[in-house]
Amino acid sequence: MQIDETTPNAARSAASGDDRTLGALLAARGVSRRAFLKYSSYLASLLALPASMAPAMAASLAKAQRQSVIWLSFQECTGCTESLTRSLSPTLDDLIFDFISLDYHHTLQAASGHAAEEARMQAMEAHKGKYIVAVDGSVPVKDGGIYSTIAGMSNLDILEETTKDAFAVVAIGSCAAFGGLPLADPNPTGAVPVTELVTDKPVINIPGCPPIPEAMAAVLAHVLTFGILPELDSLGRPKSFYGESVHDRCYRRPFYDRGEFAESFDDEGAKKGWCLYKLGCKGPATSNACATVKWNGGTSFPIEAGHPCLGCSEPGFWDMGGFYRALSVPTGDVARIAAVAAGAGVVAGAAAGALHRATKSAARGKHHTVTVEELEEK
Amino acid sequence: MSRFARPHWVEKMSSGMAKPLIGEISAALDTLAATGVAGAIDLSGLPLTATDRAELEVALGSGEVEAKVTAAGTSEIRETGFAGVWWVRHFDAGGRVLAEILEIAFVPQLLGAQGDDIDAAARRLRTELARTPERETGRETVHAD
Repeated sequence: MQIDETTPNAARSAASGDDRTLGALLAARGVSRRAFLKYSSYLASLLALPASMAPAMAASLAKAQRQSVIWLSFQECTGCTESLTRSLSPTLDDLIFDFISLDYHHTLQAASGHAAEEARMQAMEAHKGKYIVAVDGSVPVKDGGIYSTIAGMSNLDILEETTKDAFAVVAIGSCAAFGGLPLADPNPTGAVPVTELVTDKPVINIPGCPPIPEAMAAVLAHVLTFGILPELDSLGRPKSFYGESVHDRCYRRPFYDRGEFAESFDDEGAKKGWCLYKLGCKGPATSNACATVKWNGGTSFPIEAGHPCLGCSEPGFWDMGGFYRALSVPTGDVARIAAVAAGAGVVAGAAAGALHRATKSAARGKHHTVTVEELEEK
Repeated sequence: MSRFARPHWVEKMSSGMAKPLIGEISAALDTLAATGVAGAIDLSGLPLTATDRAELEVALGSGEVEAKVTAAGTSEIRETGFAGVWWVRHFDAGGRVLAEILEIAFVPQLLGAQGDDIDAAARRLRTELARTPERETGRETVHAD
C-alpha cells in the first residue's frame, strides 16, 4: 500500500504495522501516565462511575489502541462538529482527540473527492468489525433518498455500506438521534433518525442541538476503556448524561420551588433570575446534563443566559407546540395523574415532564396549555 | 467551586449533606486502616451548596501536605486534618474545576510516580548515561590540545 498525506490514520497505522498502545503513542509525545490518571478521574466523574475506578480506567486506556471513527454527515448544519471541536478545554478534554483516529469526516479531513471516499473504504477495511460510525444529521428516505447525496451516493446507501462492518453506531445530535429539524412537520425529504435504519448494530443516541461535547467524548472513551457501550436509557441515550432532567439540575430550580417565576423577558422576575417555566421552559420534560456540564468549557447554558430550555435533546422538539408556550400536558387520563402529582409543588415539573415524555406522540395533536397556578390548584 | 451554581441565597443554605459525607469518609478511613484498601468520593457529582462545602472543609480541617501537580492542566492536592484523607481538585486551563475528589489513601494516586513513567524514565536515564563518556572524552581531547 502506498502511504501519502491522504491516507487515513487507521489505514496508515495498519499499513505501517504501528500497533502501539495509546500509552506508548502518547508517551512519545510527552503525555505522562499522570495525565491519563487525571483524565480518567474526570471521565469517571462525567460518567457517574465510582471515583475509585480511575486508576483501573487509566491502565485500561493506556493499553488500548486508537479507536477508528468514521464520521458521516448527512442532513445537518455542522453544529455538532462545532460543538465537539470548539468547546473542549485545551488541556484535559482534548485528549480524546489523541485517543481516536478520525479517519473520515467531511468537514475536518484534508482529503476531498475520490481520495476522501477512498479514505473511508480503507478505514473500513483496516478495522473491520472494530470501527465506530458517528452520524450527525438525519437520513432522507423519500423518493429513494435523492435529497442528500455524497459522491453520487445517497445518505441511505452510504449509511448501509459503512455500518455493515461497524462495531457500533453513535447518532450524534438530535437530527441523527430523533430526526431533528429535517423531520419537523411537514418533513419534505422523508427524514428519519439513524435508529430507524440501523437495526443490526448497537446505536447510541447523543441528542442535543448541539449535544454536549463531553457526552460525545465520554461515550467514545467509555468504549475504549471498557470495550462495551455505556448504560443507555429507553431512548438509547447514555444514562450518565441523560439520566436527569434539566429542571432537576437547574440552578433556578429553587425559584420554581418557591413559586417565583419570570412572566416576561424584561420584568422584575427575569431581572432577578427567577424560574423561566412560564416563558416556555421545557426543562422539566428534557433529559440532559447541560445544566451541570454546560457548553463552551463550562461557561454557560441557555437558561443561565436568560432563555428557556427548548427541549432540544428530546424527540420531536420542533413540533411540541411552540418554544415560548408554557410547558403543556396532554388532555385525558394522564392529566388526572398530573394533578395528583402536582399536589407537591417540588415534583410537579418532574411529573409533568415524565407524563409529557411518556405520551408525547399521542398527545401532540391535542395539547392544551396549563399554567403553574392551574397545576397547583388541581 | 461546584458545577452546580445556584442563587446566592441557596448557596447560603446548609442541606445537611456534610454530615453523611463525613460518615462515608469515616467508613472508608476505617477500611483503609484495617485492610489498606483505598477509597474515593467524587464531590463534583454531588449538589453541595457553598455552605455544605464550607461545613465539610471546617470539619475536615487542614493537614501537613499541600501539592500542585502539572499534568494536562493543574491539580491541587491537600491533606486534610485526618491523616489519609486527601482533597484533590483537577482544574482546566481556565481554572475551572473539572473534578473534585476526596481520596482516602496512604498517598493520593496522582502524587505517586506511575509505573510506566518510571520505566520510561529509567530507559531515558540509561540512554543519557551511555552518551556521557563520549562527551567527556571529547572534552578531554579539547583539554589535551
